[in-house]
Amino acid sequence: MADQVIAGTSSATGAARRSKGKFWSSENPWFWLTPAIIFLSVYSIFPLIYNIVLSLHEFKPRTKIFEFVGIQNWAELFTQDVRFGNAIGITIQYVVVAMLIQITLGMIIALLLDAKPWGATIMQALIILPMVTAPTVAGMLFRLLTHPNFGFISYILYGLGLVTPDEPLIGGTGRFALIGVLTVEIWQWTPFFVLIILAGLKGLPQEVLEAAEVDGANWWQRLTRVKIPMLRGVLTVAILFRLVDLYKVFDYVVILTAGGPGNRTETVSFYGYANTFLQVNWGYGAAIGLFMMVVVWLSAFAYIKLFRVRW
Amino acid sequence: MATITPAERQNWHAVQAAQHRRQRINKLLLTIVTGAILLVFVYPIYFWVTASVRPYREIFTMPPPLAIYQPTGSWWSVVIGGRPYLEVVQEVAGANAGTGGAGTAGYYVVPFLRTSIIVGVISTAVVLLIATPTAYGLSRFQPRGKQNLVFFILSTRFMPAVTAVLPIYLVYQNFKLIDTYHGLIFAHTVINLPIAVLLMKSFFDDVPQDLDDAAMVDGCTRWGAFFRVIVRYVAPGMAAAAVLCLIFSWNEFIFTLYLTRSPELRTIPVAMSTFDSSSGGTEWGFLTAAGSAAMIPVFIFMLFVQRHLVRGLTMGAVRG
Repeated sequence: MADQVIAGTSSATGAARRSKGKFWSSENPWFWLTPAIIFLSVYSIFPLIYNIVLSLHEFKPRTKIFEFVGIQNWAELFTQDVRFGNAIGITIQYVVVAMLIQITLGMIIALLLDAKPWGATIMQALIILPMVTAPTVAGMLFRLLTHPNFGFISYILYGLGLVTPDEPLIGGTGRFALIGVLTVEIWQWTPFFVLIILAGLKGLPQEVLEAAEVDGANWWQRLTRVKIPMLRGVLTVAILFRLVDLYKVFDYVVILTAGGPGNRTETVSFYGYANTFLQVNWGYGAAIGLFMMVVVWLSAFAYIKLFRVRW
Repeated sequence: MATITPAERQNWHAVQAAQHRRQRINKLLLTIVTGAILLVFVYPIYFWVTASVRPYREIFTMPPPLAIYQPTGSWWSVVIGGRPYLEVVQEVAGANAGTGGAGTAGYYVVPFLRTSIIVGVISTAVVLLIATPTAYGLSRFQPRGKQNLVFFILSTRFMPAVTAVLPIYLVYQNFKLIDTYHGLIFAHTVINLPIAVLLMKSFFDDVPQDLDDAAMVDGCTRWGAFFRVIVRYVAPGMAAAAVLCLIFSWNEFIFTLYLTRSPELRTIPVAMSTFDSSSGGTEWGFLTAAGSAAMIPVFIFMLFVQRHLVRGLTMGAVRG
C-alpha cells in the first residue's frame, strides 16, 4: 500500500516535470482545474469585493447618492443594533434545533427502515417526497396546513391543547412562529439525513456487525459502539453541507412569516435581505451579509479541522 | 447424547412456532411504528394532492375526510389546462367570490414548468461539462494547496444568496444578462458547481488509477484516457450529480427572482411565490394543484435514479 502511494506520487511529479511550462498539456493539473476556478471566481470574488466596498458606503436620502461612511456601518452593526443581535440569536436557535432534530429523527427512521419492515422499498421512495418540493412551494403549502382557522396542523395542535386559537402556530403574537418555520425545515430535510444514514448503514461491512453480535454486544451497544462510529465519515460531510445551508435560512422565513410577527422569526439572512431590498440600506445589508459569510467560513474551517475532513 | 423422546420433539416444534410467531409480531410492530412516523412526513403531500381535487368547501373541512367523495378537476383544468381562473372561481364559489391572487399571470403553470425544465436541464448539462474534468483533476493530481483549493470551491456557497445577488445583478445589468435565459442558466450553474465538483471527485476516487495508466500505456494522452475510458466508469455518479443539480436548480429562488423580470423566465418557485394567498380564500385549490404539479417532474426523475442518488447524497463518503 505504502509502496503504491509512493510510486503514484513519484510518477505524478515526474509527469509534472515533463510537462513543465506547458499549460495545454493534460498532465498539468491546472489544465483540469482552471475553467471551474475562473467560473467560480467570477461569481464569488467580485460579489465579495463589491460587498466589502459597499459596506463602507451608505445611501443618503438627502443627497440621493452613496456616500463613503468608513466603518460606520460595521460600528453600528456591532455596537448599537439590537435587531441584529436578535437575528443572531434566532439564527443560532434555528441552526441548533434543526440540526439536532434532523439528525436524531433521521437516525431513528433510517434504523427502522434498515431493520426491514414490510414495504421498506416503498417507504424509502416515499420519504424522498418532501425533498422534491421546492422550499418556497413547501412554505406556501404549509401556510394552508398551519392556517389559524382551517389548517389541519392547527386543528391537531388545538385538539392536543398545545396551542390555542388565540395564539396559533403561525400568526398571532408569534410566540410559536419559529417552531412553525422549524417544522417545515425539519419536515423537508430530515429525509436527506434518512437517505444518507440509510446508505451508510447499508454500506457497513456485515462481518463486523456479526462479530459484535457474537461477542455479546446488545442492540444498543452495537448501535453506539459500532454503527455510529462507522457512520462518522458519511455524517461528517452531510452535516457540513447542511450546516452551510442552514445558516443562510431564508426561503421558509420569507414565505411563511416574513420575519414576523415583530422580529420573532427574523434570521440574519432575512435581516440582510430586509435591509438591502426593503429599506435600501445597501451598505448595511452588505455588512450583514459579509458578517454572515465570515461566520460560516470560520465555522466550516473549524469543522473541517476538528473532524479532519480531507479531500 | 440422549435420544429425543416424541414429547421433546413436539416441544421443540412448539418452541419453533412460538419463536416464529414472535418474529412476525416484531416485524408487524416494526412496520406499524415505521409506517406511523413516515405517515407524518408523507401526509402533508397527500393532503395537498387530494386537496387539489377536492371541491372548494371540502378543502377547509376539519378534520379533512380521508376519501375524496366528489373529485373535481376544476383546479387542475386551470393549472394545467389553462382555463381562465375567474371562470372556475365563479363556478365553484358563486359569482361574488374573492378573486384574490394570481396577478396577471393567472394560475396556469405550464409555462413556468417549461422554464424550470429548460433552465434546470441546460444548467445541469453545463455543470457536468465543467465539473467532470475539474473533479478528475482534483482526484488524480495533488497540486500544492489542494485542500485550500477545495475549501475555496466549497466557500463559494458561503455568502448568503440575498447578499450575493445585488452585485451579480449590477454586473448582469452591465453585460445585458438580466432577464435572459443564458444569464439565468449561468447563475444556476455557478450555484451547483461546487457540490457537483466535490461529488464527482468522490466518484473518480473510486476508479482505480491503474485504468488511467493502462489507457496511457496504450497510447492515450491523459485527456484521452479521461475522455475515452474513465468517464464511462463514473456514469452512475454523473446521474446522481445531475439529479442533485436539477433539484437545486428546481428549488432556486432568490437569483431567479432578482435576475429575471418577464413572466416567461419565471421558474416555478418564483411564479408560485407571486400567487398571493394571504386572503385565504378560493385560491387554495389552485395553489395545491400548482404545488402538486411542481413536484411531479422531479419526483419521477428521482425515482428513476434513486439508487444512484442515495450514493450521490453521501458524496461518496459511504466508504467511511
